[in-house]
Amino acid sequence: MLTILASIMRLINAINKAVGKTFAWLSLAVVLVCFAVVVERYLFSTTRLWMQDLYVWLNGMMFTAVAGFALFREDHVRVDIFYRPASPTKKAIADLVGVCIFLFPFMFSIYYIGLPYVQRSWRLMENSANVGGMPGLYILKTFILVFVALVALQGLAMAIRSILVLAKRDDLVPQDFRYPTAAQATGKE
Amino acid sequence: MDYVLIGEILAGLMFFGVIGMLMLGFPVAFSLAGTSLIFGAIGYYFEVFDFSNLASLAGRYIGFMTNEVLVAVPLFVFMGVMLERSKIAEQLLLTMSKLFGNIRGGLGISVILVGALLAASTGVVGATVVTMGLISLPAMMRAGYDPKLASGVICASGTLGQIIPPSTVLIFMADMLAGINSQVQMAKGNFAPDPVSVGDLFAGAFIPGLMLVLLYLAWMIFKAITDPKSCPATPFSDEEKKGIVKEVMTAMVPPLLLIVAVLGSILLGIATPTEAASVGAVGATVLAALRWRLSFTVLREAAVSTATITSMIFIILFGASVFSIVFRQMGGDNLVHEFLSGLPGGAIGAMIVVMIIMFILGFILDTFEIIFIVIPITAPVLLMLGLDPIWLGVMVGVNLQTSFLTPPFGFSLFYLRSVAPNSISTGMIYKGVIPFVCLQVLAIAILFVFPELVTWLPKFLY
Repeated sequence: MLTILASIMRLINAINKAVGKTFAWLSLAVVLVCFAVVVERYLFSTTRLWMQDLYVWLNGMMFTAVAGFALFREDHVRVDIFYRPASPTKKAIADLVGVCIFLFPFMFSIYYIGLPYVQRSWRLMENSANVGGMPGLYILKTFILVFVALVALQGLAMAIRSILVLAKRDDLVPQDFRYPTAAQATGKE
Repeated sequence: MDYVLIGEILAGLMFFGVIGMLMLGFPVAFSLAGTSLIFGAIGYYFEVFDFSNLASLAGRYIGFMTNEVLVAVPLFVFMGVMLERSKIAEQLLLTMSKLFGNIRGGLGISVILVGALLAASTGVVGATVVTMGLISLPAMMRAGYDPKLASGVICASGTLGQIIPPSTVLIFMADMLAGINSQVQMAKGNFAPDPVSVGDLFAGAFIPGLMLVLLYLAWMIFKAITDPKSCPATPFSDEEKKGIVKEVMTAMVPPLLLIVAVLGSILLGIATPTEAASVGAVGATVLAALRWRLSFTVLREAAVSTATITSMIFIILFGASVFSIVFRQMGGDNLVHEFLSGLPGGAIGAMIVVMIIMFILGFILDTFEIIFIVIPITAPVLLMLGLDPIWLGVMVGVNLQTSFLTPPFGFSLFYLRSVAPNSISTGMIYKGVIPFVCLQVLAIAILFVFPELVTWLPKFLY
């Protein structure tokens, strides 16, 4: 049973790693498209309105799609006064509780609100509100649901990690997803 | 019982409940939203909250995802990360240390200057303190610096990025204050208020930031004169003397020009912050390429760091939005309004109380959480009482910066502790930052008495 859970966890990690590393490149795209707009405006005094939408949208897609990966990488800040020095067992409990009472209800709420919102946008085949802007606003809006799915999955992976740690089967947790040991956590001290 | 009262009690409890729940250590963005939903459910039970109010969340989220102003955040982060990953920042610090190292207090001065210039990059306190702690602290120890002074100057300089433009904190603050200010001015009957822009806030923070740097420098020079043993000079070797001009030209001048160009074009109104930031990001990448430091790995690391840092910040904004909606719906706004406008001393009294609350929150929460929670609920009242939005934003920035520096909980101190050798005790770090905390308090007092220091430049420029 635990090994099945562990393989689900590894699968989720793999998904978020792949999605995260791919969509992280959008940050470079944001830089380049925005720079292109600047060059066109200041050097050639022209502008393409859809490009002004594009880099803004790319940022929106990037930070929603990468959120699950950031959760995997422990990039989301925690208030760690008590968390950082805690034992792996205590961390596992904190994470399990957090996923169940904070993360899942939050993701469910956004899903519940977001689904009709996104469906409506698809039905209307909504485009940018700006004249001459990008087509396909519904695709950007869909990323709200992408965000929900990826973060909820990563939350599930965190819950599984907690269960494995509490069941004393840390060996099933891959190296890059383990809680840092006390020595690593406090740096050189 | 009275619904209004129940709602306000719940809203008040929620504020403290959120802070309590965050102590669990679960990522802040989700704890914020989750706790707010729990209080929303309690409110639903007492019939003071209706979940249908949350429907506006979807529109808000799309608002963040299509916000042109906030795109400046990933762009500036990219610029900062690129300067860091390609070791340009490190090289700048090393060269500056060499250049100033042969005068007393020179290493400290170079830390302050580099902190002021580079801290701007991410707006996340940790990165700068860790970088300088790893590079400058050993150099200062080798030069025979007093460990207290060395750690104090590093911690303090690392927090400068909160306030010195192009701080990402100021970008978010400007975006929030712009919306709040136009609503407040409408309510006051002013239907064509001056909009608050990121450029305004950058301009407003410019003189206070400069003032802080000068105060730090003055302290360093004062120590160098009165206590020469605390910060001795490291004389040049002949070899170094020969190479220094070339090194300054290659390692120092290009990044400095880039930073000045980016900031200058924003302050002079030539480009919007977002446009200038994209030039900065491309510029940093070109600098890295010119030094043959732009490998695929560096590019990928920069992209991944930028994406995850940006995501982390925006998702906190997502979580904080749930908090604001629930808080407002249960009548929290009213509660805050009654509390703040009932304080003695009018606008200034209310401002002082909000500043103290934020200062204390700074011990447990990072900048973004604090401004995303506190600004939306307090700024409407403070602006209604007649405070200037730009002054408010800058004061909040300096205040939080001070909080991150204050022992025993300041974030900056923890970050330095994590990279400092064991020979430097935590007590030494605490003692070392105290003079800088005093300088910060002095700066806040000056800005309180002379708000023109903040408001003059934006008016002059725009």
